[in-house]
Amino acid sequence: MEDKLRQKARELLSSGEVQVVIGYGWNRRKTRTTPVFITRPEDTDRLVFNPLCVNNLSVYLTRKYPDIKAMGRPAVVAKGCDIKNIAVMVSEGQLKREDVYIIGVTCGGVVYRQELWQGELKPGIMPVKCHNCDVRNPHIADVVIGEKTDFAPPEEPTGMVFDKIAEIDGMTPAERFAFWNEHFSRCIKCYACRQVCSLCYCERCITDKNMPQWIESSAHPRGNFAWNLIRAMHLTGRCTFCGECERACPVNIPLNIINQKMSLVVKDAFGYCAGYDPDEHPPMIVFSENDKEDFIK
Amino acid sequence: MDKRLLKRERLDRLIDGVTRGGGLFVAPRLDARRVVYGPVTAADEMEFDYIVPGNSFKEFFFPRTEPVARFSFHKQGTELEEVRPEPVETVIFGSRPCDAASCASLRSVFTWDFVDEYYTEREDAAVVMTVACTQGDESCFCTTVGVAPDGRDGSDILLRETEGGDFTAEAVTEKGASFMERYKDAFEATVEGREKEVFQPEILDGVDLERIAQWLKDKEHYSSPLWPEVARKCIGCGACTFSCPTCHCFDLVDEGTFFEGERRKNWDSCQFDYFTLHASGHNPRDTQYKRWRNRFMCKFHIYPGKFSTKGCVGCGRCIRVCPVRLDITEVMEEISKVP
Repeated sequence: MEDKLRQKARELLSSGEVQVVIGYGWNRRKTRTTPVFITRPEDTDRLVFNPLCVNNLSVYLTRKYPDIKAMGRPAVVAKGCDIKNIAVMVSEGQLKREDVYIIGVTCGGVVYRQELWQGELKPGIMPVKCHNCDVRNPHIADVVIGEKTDFAPPEEPTGMVFDKIAEIDGMTPAERFAFWNEHFSRCIKCYACRQVCSLCYCERCITDKNMPQWIESSAHPRGNFAWNLIRAMHLTGRCTFCGECERACPVNIPLNIINQKMSLVVKDAFGYCAGYDPDEHPPMIVFSENDKEDFIK
Repeated sequence: MDKRLLKRERLDRLIDGVTRGGGLFVAPRLDARRVVYGPVTAADEMEFDYIVPGNSFKEFFFPRTEPVARFSFHKQGTELEEVRPEPVETVIFGSRPCDAASCASLRSVFTWDFVDEYYTEREDAAVVMTVACTQGDESCFCTTVGVAPDGRDGSDILLRETEGGDFTAEAVTEKGASFMERYKDAFEATVEGREKEVFQPEILDGVDLERIAQWLKDKEHYSSPLWPEVARKCIGCGACTFSCPTCHCFDLVDEGTFFEGERRKNWDSCQFDYFTLHASGHNPRDTQYKRWRNRFMCKFHIYPGKFSTKGCVGCGRCIRVCPVRLDITEVMEEISKVP
């Protein structure tokens, strides 16, 4: 698979169809993968793909990276879950589909965090998204590399994230508040969740605006609630459950729970799931007379 | 002072002694599936099997947010009130030598051209009890930057684990000696049991700190194409700086309503794009690799140029927490081999 990936990247760079291939490469010790930017055909041998390739590289396609944009037309190595983010970016006018060459890779799942890797991909070290994945064969791509898989996700989503959502749904408001207060109180406002997210593409995030200061930038409980809730609201109906924010969080805040809960609410209210159709606008940014109104009380 | 023995079952006695007097006993403990430095009230809350805690203990001297002044506006005028730090005796138990070494680094900055009492008063009231490392991981690189896994710098008391799970204790400073004297019923005079072997992280052969400092010093290299090459993947979060024991930047912000509020000292990070954003709209560090370059230059050029303490202590946290695995030691190697 890696041979084909490298060959394709070489072709794309040699022909001038793209100027940079954004993919995964090994770190020095070959224990972790890390994003690489390949610009010369002879460097394509650095590209790898394996279950350690956790990063969602679509983040480098956002306007937060003018220096990467200046490199020219990119090709990006993307798993199905990463492609979902590209689809949302296209639907929100952040990117034209033809502006990026998607090298889709079929995927058998990745590790939740790279440090869990001990040479073998076991279900226990895979994130919940992989167990419920319906895009192991990439759904949108210019080329797909890898054997087609016949994995079928369970009918109803399963896993810790969904169990926890059910548990929180059953809590009283005071218990819910206590649950989130405990987790958000650890937040150090490093904004790794925002920075790693390709759908947090604003050049100036609301939390960084200080005239006026809409959100308190202090990492105290009030400021942490304000930040984490506003991010959840801004991702509502857009989050594709790629899980990067929770993976990047240095203090283990269970962000998948809150973002996935919001996705379920949107699915229920609008029948919409983000990341499948680049031509369909997310419900929170369009007005439709056909919208259900029964949730407005 | 000779070595003493601190038995694990005596830890509660020590914790009780410190906390009963209104002090804070900080030790590695489990919080949300990771080991962190945090306050404990009993030894059974502590973790003993860890490499290096996820956070650095700087947050007990330099909190992520703290009020420094309060203000209110009335018809009659404006009222201003200073908020002073209220330091309590703080014992940092189970520190690692890298973290202990970072105290001197922070102190250098916080006493440089102005004495920041919010930091110094808290650190003055602290006793650092370091446990020499008996394990490490591939991110540990203290030996490469001149810190030893059983080093004494910055510690008041140096502990070593024994095979039986107890600790030998040796006072390093006067403060440490008087602490051991004050809580002498927790320490035994006769040392028994063999000390565990110290874990030595591999010294990275390819790293030449002297050469790095020289290369960084040359202004020509500020715009070297090497920078975007090594740091293009940086996504600009503050995970590295906030986990770093020597990163010390902060921002002063005013919070509150129109009529009253407080001025707070909050952690800030050079990795944020608005860190150097001018009021004019101009940003001298306009792309991410330039911000990453700044952090690297701060550690290995700017900081060593000003102070005799270490800009980087090799704890490896920035490598472990980086969402894109931008490994600072790989860049150190790259720069060391530039002809």
